[in-house]
Amino acid sequence: MDDVQKRLVKCFENVFPALPAEEIPISTVQNNSAWDSVAAITLVNVIEDEFGFQMDFDRLAELNSFDRILSYVKTELQS
Amino acid sequence: MRFTSGRNWKIDHGMRITDALKIINGSPKDAKPFEVTLACGFTPLHLQTFLAAHLQQALPDRRVSISTGLYGDLAGTIEGLREGVGNNLAIAVEWADLDPRLGYRSSVVWDRKTLQDIVSSVPRALGRLASSIRAVPTGTVVLATPTLPFPPLFHTPSWMMSDPEIVLNKAVAEFAAEMAAHGIAIVNSTTLTEVSAHAARYDLKSDLIFGLPYSLDHADKLALCLSRLLSPPVPKKAIITDLDDTLWSGIVGEIGPEKIRWDLNGHEGIHALYQSLLASLAEHGILVGVASKNDPKVVEQAFERPDLLLRKEHVFPMEVHWNAKSSSVERILHVWNVFADAVVFVDDSPTELAEVAAAHPEIECILYPGKDYAAGLQMLARLRDLCGKQRLSAEDSLRVDSIRQTARFQEAAGEANLESFLKETKAMVRFDFSGSKEDLRALELVNKTNQFNLNGARYTESDWTSELLRADTRLMVTSYEDKFGQLGKIAVILGHLENSTLSISTWVMSCRAFSRRIEYQCLKTCFERYGVNEIDFDFLPTPKNGPIQEFLTQVLGEAPANNAKLTRERFERVCPALYHSVGEFADVRS
Repeated sequence: MDDVQKRLVKCFENVFPALPAEEIPISTVQNNSAWDSVAAITLVNVIEDEFGFQMDFDRLAELNSFDRILSYVKTELQS
Repeated sequence: MRFTSGRNWKIDHGMRITDALKIINGSPKDAKPFEVTLACGFTPLHLQTFLAAHLQQALPDRRVSISTGLYGDLAGTIEGLREGVGNNLAIAVEWADLDPRLGYRSSVVWDRKTLQDIVSSVPRALGRLASSIRAVPTGTVVLATPTLPFPPLFHTPSWMMSDPEIVLNKAVAEFAAEMAAHGIAIVNSTTLTEVSAHAARYDLKSDLIFGLPYSLDHADKLALCLSRLLSPPVPKKAIITDLDDTLWSGIVGEIGPEKIRWDLNGHEGIHALYQSLLASLAEHGILVGVASKNDPKVVEQAFERPDLLLRKEHVFPMEVHWNAKSSSVERILHVWNVFADAVVFVDDSPTELAEVAAAHPEIECILYPGKDYAAGLQMLARLRDLCGKQRLSAEDSLRVDSIRQTARFQEAAGEANLESFLKETKAMVRFDFSGSKEDLRALELVNKTNQFNLNGARYTESDWTSELLRADTRLMVTSYEDKFGQLGKIAVILGHLENSTLSISTWVMSCRAFSRRIEYQCLKTCFERYGVNEIDFDFLPTPKNGPIQEFLTQVLGEAPANNAKLTRERFERVCPALYHSVGEFADVRS
């Protein structure tokens, strides 16, 4: 697990405290019942706070899994 | 050691969303809940998160939970509160709640007719809101009036106040005044502006996309203000001040009482402000004492000056000599019978502060900042924040006198035969059994008393209300006076009556009332009033409640355990002679 992934896991831990650690990397909107619209906004704020960039709200709909968010964050950090 | 003119809570706090979530996730799951209803017309997400986190920090032994109502239904959320419990209600009103056209999410033409309509609709909305708030069953209600800017809908440029804005702000100010008169605590909008700049409060993108109007920082700061109203910090009880170059400018022993200054002409006005603040705090029941290395005769002459704003009647005791200040502080704490953690010490000398701090590490030491005016202003605000109270009680104006009376009482008691002395004090004890929820002096006494305190339990206002709403609750509030003067309300017993037993869950008595056998009179009255044969004590030892442990050991004949029991027969055997006259107020629960 690289540093970005570890930090993203921490973000998920804070927003979804009941989610077991091993399920975080495979978490999606579909398999995580706590991932509702309110949690999604909180997740955005926590990720922005952790990584220090503003997320593109227009892309939120497609950022519906840990994997996709990880890719997005890595891309943003490189740009 | 470095001392400042006082750390400022307003800038100490700046919470990140991640930290807020960590605080919430770390709350003790099995702790007693502290439930709050957050009423607002917008999506409360961030405000809810930060309010929960700030309250959790203030109440680490509780499990804070925040419930919210439906989007856009501010009044409905307020009206949904339950009867029969002490509710905690935080209300955040924004302009869009008073008329949706004052929000940014409303698509409306900002023409003259619309503005006229808005101006007439807002007072009606405030009237409905006031009715809903007045109908809240019981508990603590705190309120923030609109914090966000208006959309640019008025004809004036932003630097000019338009007529409709003036009318709308006036309507809100009148609403706030009415709510404050109803006992509701209002967020101070000036303080909120200090901590949350107007321009950075509103997040248009977040509002238009998610319905979240507050920037994260503003949500944090507003939540902080609301949390301090719902769970106020315990105010300090006393201030010990230095004199030379602190209360006044100059060394009185060198230049003489007539040459010390605090006037504007001599550019010493900051000392006058400090004196004014101390005098105001003294009037509001904060004890003010003096610790000064000086000649006592010279200081006495200085306090005779008629232009001194802090009068000598405000100050007790004065420790003026050449010994170490830590020993002065020790004696003052003894006379006041308070712990160091309830006291602030102010001095212009870092050396003196360090000496006092080393001997009394729990005392809050504040450096008087001399000619640094900005730091001086910060110090004055800090002292007010440390000692400020949400409400004043009749006892506040008695406090310094009663400390003097206690000193005279103890001096006289030491010189006389105890029994004949107590007989001659003409003591009058009065009991109030009304269980009034409005008498917040009882709650104040419970929350500030450490030494004669059965278990150290503290209550929020809503906890207290919930206790008083229980059918089996019995509340006894005790007042005292004797020939030395009035002490006012000095003891509170809260218990629950079941069959022939009274279970006391809270018992406190002010340290000013020690040595008068009032505690015996309280128990005697409990046995007689409630017709019980046994009293159970929910006793817990605390680091500070030695005096009640000692008393219970005497009456029980052994060191008290949790749920210690005292029978009427045992009490009557050990109770010494009591010489008080006893009076009673009405009992609504016979």
